[in-house]
Amino acid sequence: MMEGAIISWLPAGVPLLGAVLSLAVWSKPDRLKVSAILVSLVSLGANVGLAGSLTTPPEGMLLLYLLPLAACVSLLGQPVHSDHRPSWLMTLLFLGLGLGVLTNHNVVGQSFLLVLLGSLIALLFRHHTALWPISWRGIGTYGVGALCVGVSVITGPPISAVASLLTCAILLPLVPFHEGHVTALTRLPGGLPSFIVLLLPALGVHGLTTVVAAVPEVAARTVSLFALAGSLYGAIKALAQSRVRLLLAYSSLSFFSILWWFVAAARTPMPRVAVFVGAVGLVTSGLLVAWQVIRTRYGDDVDPQAISGLAFTMPRYAVLLSLLALAAMGLPPFGVFAGFMGLLLTSSLTPSVGLFVTLVAWLTASWYIMQMVQQLLFGVRRPDLRYTDLLRTEFASLMMVILVLLALGGASSNLWGPEQTAPPTSANVEAITWNK
Amino acid sequence: MPFVILVPLLPLLAALIVVIGSDCSRHARARVAAWPIGAAFCVAVATLYFVATQGTIAIRFYDPASLALIAVPVGFYIDRLSAVMMVLISGVGTIIYTYSVGYMYQDPQESRYLFLVAFTTFVLLCMVSSANLVMLFVFWQLLSCLLYLLAHNHAHAATLAGAYRTFTLLRVGDVAFLAGLVLAHSLYGTLEFPTLFTKAIETPVTLSPLPGWDIHGATAVTLLLFIGGMSKSAQFPMHIWLPRSLYAPTPVHALLHAGIINAGGFLINRLAPLFGLSSTTLHVAFVVGTMTAILGAAMMLAQNDIKKTLGFSTIGQMGYMIMECGLGAFSLAVFHLIAHGIFKATVFLNCGNVIHKARQEPAFPHTDHEAAEQSFSRLTWTTGFVTTLLIPLLILVVTHGVLHIPLLESQGAVIFLFFIWITSSQAILTLTRLRAVASWKVSAAMLLTLPFIVFVYLFAVQSFTAFLYRDPQEVASYFLAAALPRWLFDVMIAIATLMTIFGWTYLYMRAHGRTMWTPAWIEGLRIRLYVLFMNRLYADEPYELFSQAVMRLVHRFDKREQGWSQ
Repeated sequence: MMEGAIISWLPAGVPLLGAVLSLAVWSKPDRLKVSAILVSLVSLGANVGLAGSLTTPPEGMLLLYLLPLAACVSLLGQPVHSDHRPSWLMTLLFLGLGLGVLTNHNVVGQSFLLVLLGSLIALLFRHHTALWPISWRGIGTYGVGALCVGVSVITGPPISAVASLLTCAILLPLVPFHEGHVTALTRLPGGLPSFIVLLLPALGVHGLTTVVAAVPEVAARTVSLFALAGSLYGAIKALAQSRVRLLLAYSSLSFFSILWWFVAAARTPMPRVAVFVGAVGLVTSGLLVAWQVIRTRYGDDVDPQAISGLAFTMPRYAVLLSLLALAAMGLPPFGVFAGFMGLLLTSSLTPSVGLFVTLVAWLTASWYIMQMVQQLLFGVRRPDLRYTDLLRTEFASLMMVILVLLALGGASSNLWGPEQTAPPTSANVEAITWNK
Repeated sequence: MPFVILVPLLPLLAALIVVIGSDCSRHARARVAAWPIGAAFCVAVATLYFVATQGTIAIRFYDPASLALIAVPVGFYIDRLSAVMMVLISGVGTIIYTYSVGYMYQDPQESRYLFLVAFTTFVLLCMVSSANLVMLFVFWQLLSCLLYLLAHNHAHAATLAGAYRTFTLLRVGDVAFLAGLVLAHSLYGTLEFPTLFTKAIETPVTLSPLPGWDIHGATAVTLLLFIGGMSKSAQFPMHIWLPRSLYAPTPVHALLHAGIINAGGFLINRLAPLFGLSSTTLHVAFVVGTMTAILGAAMMLAQNDIKKTLGFSTIGQMGYMIMECGLGAFSLAVFHLIAHGIFKATVFLNCGNVIHKARQEPAFPHTDHEAAEQSFSRLTWTTGFVTTLLIPLLILVVTHGVLHIPLLESQGAVIFLFFIWITSSQAILTLTRLRAVASWKVSAAMLLTLPFIVFVYLFAVQSFTAFLYRDPQEVASYFLAAALPRWLFDVMIAIATLMTIFGWTYLYMRAHGRTMWTPAWIEGLRIRLYVLFMNRLYADEPYELFSQAVMRLVHRFDKREQGWSQ
């Protein structure tokens, strides 16, 4: 019993302890960064090593492996500078808290989540400026999330189920509770957005797979409607954006809303939910890192329309960004496509307006992502700009994302979690309700 | 037979040889990489022989029961259709690659370009040998991306805009394909090819998407898949991406027009048993194909640029191919696809030389035949006239009596014969106008050559049909499914006959120097139509207006919503 409790604390303990130990090299940013990267790799190793001993979450073990990887990607993608030190440590802290939520259940897990949301609120508050008054909405949304966590702990069903569902809707963004997601991706400092974009949705989907069966029918239908609206809203907003981080925030909102719709309609955890969330989170993380590369060279407020012709001048960057864009558009052989196909083929949903809307949202991604990539990579080379191709750490970071996305796309979902079988389709088991 | 896996893998190896290595060995690697592609062609020929003699090859690296849990269920299902397509793609791929090595010599983008050519060959080969609809869809989508990459030039604004439009339009087709795939899985519970066809035949379902509107399950699936095919095969009104992609190097067009664009035709043929279950889809295919064939050919005539002319010719030919599918003549469509692929690849590979020569010689192409056009030869014209009117009768008799094509039962065959008639008449008209030489030799040559060509064509088609479909009942069932209403069929035949006779009469009188009275509005219409076709029916404008309207709405919504964009 005691041994089991210790093992479930270990995944959280490694990064938290690593964060504390890293403070010893606080004055040397290069060492601090290396130390943070090593801690994230050790955390990954620990999770793989403990896989057999840990209780498998309903969504499988995949997210336990992806979180340390995303932390590593985020850390690698940042330049060495003393200003980034807090964000490196916060990455480790958030990683520890996130793993704590995934590996511990009931009150302990909820406590980890409460601390995480509290830290996030504090961080957003610290980085709040009068120029972005709208970020109050995001801070408020996370405040509501923290409140819902508390309510779900102290009350019983069905109130606790609805409160948990609301928490999930804030973590795994769902319209109208998406402001936190947009705020986090646009206002958090350094490379934190590229980690948060996977961490919070992963925690959201973890909670969702637990709570979805207990959610009342009316709530599920409402969620389904919000999800459809959200997938279109996210796609439309992404189409209108010229700022890359906003575009990626709305794009990921659109994709996560698609997932919400499938889960709400099926009312049961589906085999490829973790693959889909992991892949969408990771690809957005990769694109944020890629954008960070541009910001590092040309400044924080650079207009993407002012940069062009990178395909000639930064060929390695161009190839990796193109591959990431293909993945983000939901094209094979990457994980987003695999997750989406899994959702489509393993659900026993009947073709409907909802399915049509999700397909439209999926199609729209091809337009806004392609537009963004085309603006950056192609066009005339600007002679007044200095071009520097990817540094080794940046290259490793983006390459890691692409390889993981390829692995997610190519491997069977049985590999990541408990034994799953494809549910029989309606054609095999019963007459289709919408047939004559 | 594991050796068949080499057919797609060898071009992939070639692509890797091209792309991996130092810059100094770039050209040497490019030349070496031609060998694996050539070897793929040899293995494809061996595969065709094996399949023809031993039967279908099926290799699966997955458990079909857990298809939904695997993102890319890799497997090969190689029947005669796949084997024929593999030979075509690898053969044309070898020629185009070898040509491109010289064509792109010393070009800074040589490696990227040759890699894309080899990789496209790999993708095409995987697509035609897919064991299930998911794998076919995966490679179908990859083809959309490759088309974008092949067709665009980084620094050329017009090309970039064209490539973007190509990609977005192809993605619309991809989504329709995906919807069809999901519906098929939902209705029949499988996406494995032979099983899918069996299930579709065994479990007929009727869907009621809206109150009072019923649609057959197979019709819904095939209509969605057909939209996917329309986008890749540049069918009206989804054809606009093809002319926009004409800035790419000419070998790209050889590959595009000989391989990639045939994807739509291949898809319909691959799923022929499913399409054969839906008369509605076949009729839609017939209408779309006929419109594309007519409009494509008309637009081709009004173009003044060799690549655009060839591009619109391809659109017309693809329309013709889809029309053949719509008439239930699936094997004929494949035959057409192969013939057109080889022909168009040759023409495109040569058109670079023609453009080069035209730039060197201001008087090129020569116009010395203008004098000959003025002369009139009664003998030649009479021969042409007789040939056009009598040979169709002869063809009808021979096809029915000797080749045993059931003309009375299958409308499709009759429609094809009429198309042959119209096409051959047009060819004779062109020949007569260009070279009106009064000679018995010329007349005899015309009289003998045309029936010879037509009968060889019919014999080849009949043999090819027997090769692809060993069961004549299956072929007959497709024709039956595609049968048009009797009155429509009769009207079409009557219109085809009248058009041909009218065309002859009009040209005969013009050749005599006589004028045929035509109302002024017809003359005006002719000029307007010319302008309309020269401007490609202004088909780009509605898309442009649509995309502008969508973006206006998007920005209006974005501004109204008090969000982060403020």
